[in-house]
Amino acid sequence: MTSLPIDNSIRRLRFENGEMTQQALAEQVGVTRQTINAIELGKYSPSLEVAFRIAAAFNVPLEQVFQYRKGGGAK
Amino acid sequence: MSFREKSAWISFICLLLLVLTFFVGLHHHPQNAQGHLYLALGVVLGFVLLQIVLHVIVVAQSPKDARTPKDERERLIELRGARIGFYSLVVGEATAMGAFHAHGRVDLLMWSIPLAILVAWMIKLGSEIVLYRRG
Repeated sequence: MTSLPIDNSIRRLRFENGEMTQQALAEQVGVTRQTINAIELGKYSPSLEVAFRIAAAFNVPLEQVFQYRKGGGAK
Repeated sequence: MSFREKSAWISFICLLLLVLTFFVGLHHHPQNAQGHLYLALGVVLGFVLLQIVLHVIVVAQSPKDARTPKDERERLIELRGARIGFYSLVVGEATAMGAFHAHGRVDLLMWSIPLAILVAWMIKLGSEIVLYRRG
């Protein structure tokens, strides 16, 4: 599987927000729990809209949730 | 496992049963055209009923999950599965037509086309299951 050139801090942000569950985040964002899990594990790259919704759920800017890794994994 | 993944598993297994039952039935009664029709109707009816019953069971276990609309990842998985299924269908139909031209048997064409459709459908569902499993 191709590794995505995007890292994320969703696990840490969930922990810092009172150990928020993936299900609770999924409901706030409007996706399934499995999609949040795939994003968190770096298996799926979300659309810009979903990325902004995740950042809004944690009340932080987008770059605190997702970080682009230069030169990594892009096809 | 999400509702859509469970649904894909159910459809895949039901379809596999349909294909096996129908084509094993055809093999055992190769010359009976009316029997083929009854077999086809029975198998399709059984397929529909089994799909409904299994889906109702899954929905009853987690109704909230079933009501959740498809998200972007699920739509993408469905599109990728449909693309793989489409190419499989094209290959299957071309093979069926090639077999017809080679052997000139209408009955071969008559059964190989539905088989190609069913196999392509199974490949579509199988691809979706693999994509769901990968994450």
